[in-house]
Amino acid sequence: MKHLNRRHFLGAGLLLGASTLLGKPLPDKPIAIPEEYKPPIIAFPEKKPMVTISDRPPLLKSARGRDIYTQAITPNDEFFVRWHLPDIPTHIDLKEFRLEVNGAVTTPLSLSIDDLKTTFDPVEITAVMQCGGNSRKYYAVTGQATHGVQWDHGAMGCAVWKGVRLKDILTRAGLKESAQWIGLNGLEKPAMEETPDFFREMALKEALEEQIIVAYGMNGEDLPYLNGFPIRLVIPGHFADSWVKMLSNIMVMDSYRNSFFMDVAYTVPDNDCECVVSGSDFEYKRKPIASMKVKSVIGYPSEESVIKKGSRIKISGVAFDQGKGIKEVMISLDSGKSWSAAKLGHDLGKYAFRMWSYEWETKTKGNYTIMARAINRIGNIQPMADEIGWNAGGYQYNGVDSVSVKIV
Amino acid sequence: MKKFVLLCFLATSTLLAQMEKPIEMPYVEYPMIKGDHDEVAQQYCLICHSWGYILNQGKKSRPYWNGTVQKMVNEFKAPIPKEDQQTIIDYLVKHYGYEAKAGQSGH
Ligand code: HEC
Repeated sequence: MKHLNRRHFLGAGLLLGASTLLGKPLPDKPIAIPEEYKPPIIAFPEKKPMVTISDRPPLLKSARGRDIYTQAITPNDEFFVRWHLPDIPTHIDLKEFRLEVNGAVTTPLSLSIDDLKTTFDPVEITAVMQCGGNSRKYYAVTGQATHGVQWDHGAMGCAVWKGVRLKDILTRAGLKESAQWIGLNGLEKPAMEETPDFFREMALKEALEEQIIVAYGMNGEDLPYLNGFPIRLVIPGHFADSWVKMLSNIMVMDSYRNSFFMDVAYTVPDNDCECVVSGSDFEYKRKPIASMKVKSVIGYPSEESVIKKGSRIKISGVAFDQGKGIKEVMISLDSGKSWSAAKLGHDLGKYAFRMWSYEWETKTKGNYTIMARAINRIGNIQPMADEIGWNAGGYQYNGVDSVSVKIV
Repeated sequence: MKKFVLLCFLATSTLLAQMEKPIEMPYVEYPMIKGDHDEVAQQYCLICHSWGYILNQGKKSRPYWNGTVQKMVNEFKAPIPKEDQQTIIDYLVKHYGYEAKAGQSGH
């Protein structure tokens, strides 16, 4: 691993190409890729060493695996990172940086970070950020593998976000009567002009909801660079695909504009189960993923935990949903035959991780499959892993989580 | 002088991300298996993202790799001539996948 200092990540691509083609000779013997390939663990700016699925664009997840879900607030330096396009500025000059608000507004705005911090009411909200493709690889366990980045549970976290209500910004700009949609753009750009831009859209009605903020703070600090410094959108209860990083433009529009990342990527079949019932996924009318599905993930133990017979362990993890609030988390120690209620931890707000725990005295040696299943206040319940509806993009996986352990 | 140094230190430690200088991004050399025209995959598949994207997929079937390469060309406008697409698909299936068994679909 080398450290390069350059303005754009894009430069790395050209350099990588050059160095593999001209510089370093590649090994003669083919490197056997192990069945389970393990990406390198590397420290990026402001981050602890993290599992580096890709360096360009950066795709990082905590090196602690499940253990990161034994706490309700995910530390900034271990928070997952997921960009889509390789051309990301490596420097933001706050004297120059502006959030432009334009389009169907009476007063277009050009806001500095200082304007956002000093001329609007600050608000804080604790919310889970989860990639739409989080846990995608588990679709392959019970059904077909899907395209897309093969995430385990690592593409989520919960933070206290601080910023300005999107509604307040839009109100200051003054919405024209014709306004129906907003378009969101950040500073991340494709390597080739023809590749679609990472452009996101929201219906105006939705964009005006109280809980949506343009965040400059995360867990009491500035947003980490790789999590979208200096500002990103935070849409509590929604998957992260529209939580645009390095947000630079909010365009108010009279009508919806077709775009790849809205119409094709991050979409599911537009039916009740949001899944493929028969035939091919792309025969279905599509809809963008939006509200998250009730979900729980086991933080401890993991498959690697060594558990002794006669010990008292605390099975624990996190649960969350689209913002209705978690009602109950059920635990099974016998592969789902019987279930008992876990103890719920502090309520940090309806959009936050809800910690849960369950005491287990391990009386007999042997193999056990621990499962956790969450139910929210409106009765949404996680499907069992082998009953989950499938979609080709591998989005919104929320099958019951399980961990197999051996008591020795 | 001493005071000046101290102030600078404080300023950078409180405003973590407001770095004066560009961030330094680590650079990873993801291994690519040699042979079967790996140079064609190198030429085209590293333009927009690292090889880590490919390694992350695990071993995949021919229809799967075929679908992925088509997605790169059709959706993301990867500028890969037809015959090179086939070379890359063959390379991926051989080293990062398997021929699909009968009845298996593209996913
Ligand atoms: C013109 C740009 C471009 C080129 C060239 C390109 N890709 Fe991609 N690729 C993308 C984009 C954009 C994504 C989606 C990025 C994201 O969501 O992080 C992607 C994603 C992927 C993924 C992740 C899984 C998925 O289905 O999204 C794989 C695997 C992949 N590319 C393989 C390849 C291979 C193999 C090649 C060479 C044949 C290639 N790419 C060339 C732009 C490109």
